[in-house]
Amino acid sequence: MRLLLVEDNVPLADELVASLSRNGYAIDWLADGRDAGYQGASEPYDLIILDLGLPGKPGLEVLRDWRAGGLTTPVLILTARGSWAERIDGLKAGADDYLTKPFHPEELLLRIQALLRRAHGLANQPMLQAGGLELDEARQCCRKDGQDIELTAGEFRLLRYFMLHPGQLLSKTQLTEHLYDGETERDSNVIEVHINRLRGKLGRELIETRRGQGYRFGGQP
Amino acid sequence: MKSIQRSLSLALIATLLLVALVLVQTSLWLFESGLRRSLETDLREETEGLLIALVKGPNGDQLDVQRLNPRYQRPFSGHYFKIELPERTWRSRSLWDASPEWPERAGLADELLDGPQEQRLLGYRAEYRRDGQPIIISVAQDYTPVLESFARVRLSGLGLVGFALLALLLLQRYAMGLALRPLERARQQIAQLQQGQRQQLDQQAPVELQPLVEQINHLLSHTEDTLQRSRHALGNLGHALKTPLAVLGSLVQREELAAHPELQASLQEQLEQIQQRVSRELGRARLSVDVLPGAHFDCDAELPALFDTLAMIHRSGLDLRWQAPAGCRLPRDREDMLELLGNLLDNACKWARSRVELSIERSGDGFVLLVDDDGPGIPAAQREQVINRGVRLDESAEGHGLGLGIVSDILTAWRGEWSLEESPLGGLRVRIALPATR
Repeated sequence: MRLLLVEDNVPLADELVASLSRNGYAIDWLADGRDAGYQGASEPYDLIILDLGLPGKPGLEVLRDWRAGGLTTPVLILTARGSWAERIDGLKAGADDYLTKPFHPEELLLRIQALLRRAHGLANQPMLQAGGLELDEARQCCRKDGQDIELTAGEFRLLRYFMLHPGQLLSKTQLTEHLYDGETERDSNVIEVHINRLRGKLGRELIETRRGQGYRFGGQP
Repeated sequence: MKSIQRSLSLALIATLLLVALVLVQTSLWLFESGLRRSLETDLREETEGLLIALVKGPNGDQLDVQRLNPRYQRPFSGHYFKIELPERTWRSRSLWDASPEWPERAGLADELLDGPQEQRLLGYRAEYRRDGQPIIISVAQDYTPVLESFARVRLSGLGLVGFALLALLLLQRYAMGLALRPLERARQQIAQLQQGQRQQLDQQAPVELQPLVEQINHLLSHTEDTLQRSRHALGNLGHALKTPLAVLGSLVQREELAAHPELQASLQEQLEQIQQRVSRELGRARLSVDVLPGAHFDCDAELPALFDTLAMIHRSGLDLRWQAPAGCRLPRDREDMLELLGNLLDNACKWARSRVELSIERSGDGFVLLVDDDGPGIPAAQREQVINRGVRLDESAEGHGLGLGIVSDILTAWRGEWSLEESPLGGLRVRIALPATR
């Protein structure tokens, strides 16, 4: 899952980038509203975390421009402006959720999980469920037939992305774009390695290879 | 209440009445004194005629009836005389058997004399001397027709005055209405302002009212600007305080600190306290406390957005409903009302199993707001405590503390009252009574 964090406070952004990375998200961080307006619309993010008080361009305007341009990526507003009038303005501008500072870091993670599942049309359950698997995002492990299976960070990222897109054909390019942030060297072999390891742990039939097209998770057509 | 219209009318009536009475009475008096002077001349000539009718006959003085005016012969004709000689007295036949009190001094009598048949007589006495003997001739003329016509004139004069008064009053009322129309318009606009139906007074006012209207408008926009500025500044302050708090909150979760659980817990607790305090005080400072008379909350425009926001923030599957009278406008500041309802409904959503309802009803002049949920509710014994201290009943579900504190602040500022009850839905009902006037 690749997220865009738009936040002008450097210490807070550092903390968030660290905590979100620990939880298996690829993060791009921007501090300026104008940069965010451009990059948010051009890169394939799965979710955007947006502060409202930004230099360059106010967050609400950035959001309005994205929505006017047809961007459907879920946006979570993270702001100190917590009055209900401001929350309503945020929603009217096209936000999908609103979290006020200060917040508990776990609260932010839960909101991000819930928002991602909602964006992919999945019910909001405590665990992410797909293809006969249950994924525990807090512990970064999965459960199959009542047995816990430990995952490495890379395997967890990949499995989560597959489980949020069950039954869909995903190309290798698409996977790299959504699993790594803009600054990481992209090596498609790494994806193949992780897929092979996942097949080893969870069964070969779980991830199907379509030659020349990509991969499909979940068995059903 | 003092009305300009009424005091002007009263002044007009008093002035007109005074002037009219003085005018009528004075003109009558002047006219009467002129009339009397001319009558006096007539009467003196009558006495001279009578003196001529007094002739020397064979038996001394005698009255020549031939020379007398016939009206002295007709009974109660209104013209009478009495001639006194030292040894004789003649009375006119017209007197019949009446004997008025003839004047005792020469000249016109000051008082009217009582004549026969209720007549009022104007008397005149002349004293002559012929052949060495005094002759006193008194004549009198009926004055009743003059008195009657005076009374008629006075009556019709008063009638005219009354009519003029009425006409002038109507005219004045009309002119006043015309002149005061801008004032009346301003009054209506201020009433609309208080009901939240407008934000400014019309600039189109007559020259005399222009400074007042401009001053009020200036005050209104100045107050609104000040409120906006202070809210903006508070927003910035909140941003400046809360972002570092968020960083601290995140830092406390670090693994390095996890090795010292006591230290971590203590830091967390202190941070929590700072956060609550900051949120509460910033929230309180944001309240407009109704400094703007035109402020209002339009239910139909604001509630759908508020409920969309609530539905977005809380899990799906919650049945959120609201009902309010059609076109309902609460005379309260929009942001304050959103804050109040937002916090109450947010709490209700956190605790509800499946349903949350808001209903707004008119009650007399004011409004009653009911927020219902079907959650676990609060035992009757603890409700008072929740209201009084805004305490947090359950640490695990945040909300029943801070949010209610701000609700309490807003209601205190509005002089509203609130109570917690058992909801027909099974959970908690918050009942808020808002007075109409601020």
